[in-house]
Amino acid sequence: MAILWLMVVVLGLTIPVLAMLLKGVLGAAKSITPTVGAISGVAAAASTDLDAVIELVTTQNYISQVVAGLANYGGSLAVALPDA
Amino acid sequence: MTMELPVAIIILFVTLIVLLLAVYLLATIVELLKINAGLDEVLGKVGEIATKTAPVNGVLDAVNTTLVAGRNLLEGLFYQKAGPDAAGLVESAFPGEGPRFLQRIGRAGTVVPIGEEYPRGAAILNSLLGVAPAPAAPAPAAPAASGGRITLRGRSAPSATVVEEPSIPGRLSAKGSRPWER
Repeated sequence: MAILWLMVVVLGLTIPVLAMLLKGVLGAAKSITPTVGAISGVAAAASTDLDAVIELVTTQNYISQVVAGLANYGGSLAVALPDA
Repeated sequence: MTMELPVAIIILFVTLIVLLLAVYLLATIVELLKINAGLDEVLGKVGEIATKTAPVNGVLDAVNTTLVAGRNLLEGLFYQKAGPDAAGLVESAFPGEGPRFLQRIGRAGTVVPIGEEYPRGAAILNSLLGVAPAPAAPAPAAPAASGGRITLRGRSAPSATVVEEPSIPGRLSAKGSRPWER
């Protein structure tokens, strides 16, 4: 008989503790959802920002042309100016 | 009868615990499903970012290689033409760069800044252009009558006047405002 009442007490104490723990888990899970949404928004914006990266290929081409021009200019100077 | 009351309370408590677990765990599962869907979306966007940035390393490496080749070419030419003055000229135009210039071209020595004027270069340019050399301190009123000077610094009045008038031969400036800064 005493054991039964002891079980009643233990279960009675368990219920609020369990409720508190479950509420904490649910709260944590609910707090992640908006963060994931924000990360998704930032990732979308970053992906859009990177659309211009392909322009680097054009820049690379321009730089090659400029350096080729510089090389030609240097070749002319090498001929035109006397050595030290 | 006396045993039925605690048993009934135990059954009630167990039922309550099961209900609590069911409600909270179901709500948690729903939230986790939402998180999973959000992370799927993020994963797609991150994949786009990775795809878009994939060629950057190769392009930048190629650009750097091209620029280093151009720099080496011009520095070699500079050393060939200016000789021992080259590092000093670099130091005068870009303070602190002279020793690095020497290091890059594999030479050793002390870097002595040339100063603001480079008469030897001016003389070479003037001789190539067939004009008379500039006086040591040119009068601003009559710069066109004389040859040019090479100045490495400053926006002093004569320098500024000559730099902004490219018709005056042999006058170069490595300092002051660049064309794209005006």
